[in-house]
Amino acid sequence: MGRSIAIVEDEPSIRANYVEALTRFGYQVAGYGSRPEASRAFGTRFPELVIIDVGLGDEPDGGFELCRELRAKSPALPIIFLTARDSDFDVISGLRLGADDYLTKDVSLHHLAARISALFRRLDALSKPTSKETVVEHGPLKLEAERMRVTWNGEEVPLTVTEFWMVHTLVRFPGHVKNRDQLMREAQVVVDDATITSHIKRIRKKFIAIDAAFDAIETVHGVGYRWTT
Amino acid sequence: MSLRFKLLLIALSTLALPLAGWLFVRQMEELLRQGQEQTLIASARALARSLNALNAELPPAGAALYVHPAPGKITIDGYADDWKRIISYAQKLGPPNDPEKLSALLCSDDDWIYLLANVRDATRNRVDARDPRAAVSDHLTLTLQREALVRRYLIASGAPGHFDALTLNDATDNALPTVLEGAWQEDGSSYRIELRLPRAQMPDKISIAAYDSDAPSGDTADMLPLLSLSSQLSDELAQFAPEGMRVRILSGDGWVVATAGALISPTGAPMARRRWLENVVYRQLLAPGLTEAADFSVALPRLNATEVWQALSGVTSTAWHRSAADSGVVLAAAVPLKSSGEVRGALLLEQASETLPLLTNRALLSVAIASLLALIVAGGVLFAFSSVLSLRIRRLRDAADRALRISGKVDNAALPLIDARDELGDLARSFAGLLDEVNAYTDYLRTLASKLSHELQTPLAIVKSSLDNLDHQSLPAAALPYIERARGGAERLGAIVRAMSQANGMERAIGGAEAEDFDLTAVVRGCVESYRPIIAPRRLEFDLPSTPIFMHGAPELIAQALDKLVDNARSFTPDDGWIHIALRARDDGMELSVANSGPPLPPTMQDRLFDSLVSLRPSAATKPSETPHLGLGLYVVRLITAAHRGAASARNLEDGHGVEFRLLLKGMPRKPMAPT
Repeated sequence: MGRSIAIVEDEPSIRANYVEALTRFGYQVAGYGSRPEASRAFGTRFPELVIIDVGLGDEPDGGFELCRELRAKSPALPIIFLTARDSDFDVISGLRLGADDYLTKDVSLHHLAARISALFRRLDALSKPTSKETVVEHGPLKLEAERMRVTWNGEEVPLTVTEFWMVHTLVRFPGHVKNRDQLMREAQVVVDDATITSHIKRIRKKFIAIDAAFDAIETVHGVGYRWTT
Repeated sequence: MSLRFKLLLIALSTLALPLAGWLFVRQMEELLRQGQEQTLIASARALARSLNALNAELPPAGAALYVHPAPGKITIDGYADDWKRIISYAQKLGPPNDPEKLSALLCSDDDWIYLLANVRDATRNRVDARDPRAAVSDHLTLTLQREALVRRYLIASGAPGHFDALTLNDATDNALPTVLEGAWQEDGSSYRIELRLPRAQMPDKISIAAYDSDAPSGDTADMLPLLSLSSQLSDELAQFAPEGMRVRILSGDGWVVATAGALISPTGAPMARRRWLENVVYRQLLAPGLTEAADFSVALPRLNATEVWQALSGVTSTAWHRSAADSGVVLAAAVPLKSSGEVRGALLLEQASETLPLLTNRALLSVAIASLLALIVAGGVLFAFSSVLSLRIRRLRDAADRALRISGKVDNAALPLIDARDELGDLARSFAGLLDEVNAYTDYLRTLASKLSHELQTPLAIVKSSLDNLDHQSLPAAALPYIERARGGAERLGAIVRAMSQANGMERAIGGAEAEDFDLTAVVRGCVESYRPIIAPRRLEFDLPSTPIFMHGAPELIAQALDKLVDNARSFTPDDGWIHIALRARDDGMELSVANSGPPLPPTMQDRLFDSLVSLRPSAATKPSETPHLGLGLYVVRLITAAHRGAASARNLEDGHGVEFRLLLKGMPRKPMAPT
């Protein structure tokens, strides 16, 4: 019996495609076309992961609304936004509401599957003891690859999956410059340069929120970024 | 021509004011003059009538010989130098076909009457008067008449010098001289005689005739009465002469036979001198009717003026002369003097008038001052008005220009004159309406790409997810290539959609960019190094300053703008071409330029290159595998430049073999420190 996934998507073709594809990956998938329908279903039984479209039928922000509802009921439920909206503003709104990841619809099914399994892996890892091999430590930074968890001076940095992979890419080879393409590949996202820049900015901000003196991510203009120790 | 200048020209139309004033003053002067003329004519007529009533002795009608007062002491020597002052008044007495053959001049002093006669005769056939051939040789015949007594004298001389002229009649009476003595002189073209007779024996009438032996003619001539300035007539005249006027009586030939009174200027000479400017003005502008005349102030023996001749022909007339004192005018009225229906002479009455010029000058002056004031006021008012007008128009134009420069992103409240109630306000409101339209359209264009991309993403996601699902179906091998192609198409479509939303994303990213102080040289150097592999095999040249250039801005945005420019340059540069990147500090900011060899820009496109969705790349040049260019790259460059308060420009290199893009960057405005 696979893990249960709920897809809330108003476009029937996409919903059907995703349901079929994820079913093929071995998950138990249920699709819902509107927020009320999904809310009703979630009232009886929670899935283990939810994929939500932001614009749902007549409600342009119905996805955000649903996310807020779900997060209130279950703080640990992994939530992925999958939407046609790709503006930074929407991404930030989604993530602020507690979504674990935010993907645009041009992501391929394989990428989607990879994200889903990564989220499940993190969920599993959080309940398992940490294995030594997957932990990377650099000064105040501690990165647990299995749990997809990053701590700075022992304090957890709340990174999304995309952000985690970016940090992971940089940290694996400290001092090496990683260009935008590499970061994109590792994080398995296909976005433009400006989005990479804003991701990096957000990562920096999250670290700085914990330690105001943080400056480990250095910008190499015209090339990319590197982790300095 | 500026509006201000045009309105000033219009202000010149007030010049019609002095013109009208001038015409008016002239007309007024004309009327005044006519009045004065009438008055003077009336006076002259009254005077003439008085003379008639008195039975005053009028000059005889017809020709006469005028006896001048002697110009000095006259020596009888046959030479005319004593006569110099009056020689120009010599009367021509020759035969009608050659009146200048003989000219004669008479003058008298207290004791003597002198006669000077000049005969033009180049041939000589001279004998003494006593010679029997005298009658057929060159000679003069002088006939004197006193009352009933008539005596003829033959004047001839065999040689220059003294001569005696014998009377041809019996000489028993002593009323006229029996022998005339005189002097004979001659030169190449003429001979001259000068003689005198005692005043006591003064004749009433004289006739002189010249006999030329080469052209024999009758040696008789008309007896001419003698005329002279008559003191008796002058005295009579003086009784009637109005004060301040001069009266003269002229004979039928214009000889002055009586004079009385004198011209008196109403004002003194110093005043006149002070007003020389007014006189000039008067003469130049107002008094074109002045006739030039011989100076009347000296007592001329003969007057030669139009009004005199008209009066002598029987017509009353008037004339305006320039006065001798040079400060006014003299009005002269001439009326004929008639005796039993026959014109015997003329009476000339003259009046100096200074009040007339004074009056009209004053009128003209006030007209001139008034119109000058009007001109200044009208000019000033129009200038001020046009200045305000053109200032307002310029403000409106500047605002419209500004609005155009920033692609219609204009705040309508910023348009000036929008509340004005006149036509400019209407214009401003029309502009505002127009700009609203432009704004809406620009907004539509701006958001079109992102809206479109947004709308396209869902169907694209359907295609892509369907293709992904299809992978897992058992398909015939023959279907696989089609799946691949469909996937390729979907990828490209995805790339297009991403590019379309990119500009919109960029705008947001630029808006959210945080400014920091950084070294622009280091950023550009880092970028240039990373371009080397991408640009190869094209040559990369760069010209960067050795010192850091600090700037307040977003380095990643600058790097991104440079990326776009270099990417743009790369796609237009042939493989053997070059790309040149330069950075230099200018007074007004930092100039970053990217030049490349390649085809020049079409001139019409240079201004629009940085607009959204404008691309110069021919669609055929896009390889199937590449993402199509939507013309967003340079738009992004412009957005970034604008965020740094700079300007982007493109131009062809002077040699025509390349293109240069220039960014002028000034840095982002510093935000005030956020409160902690």
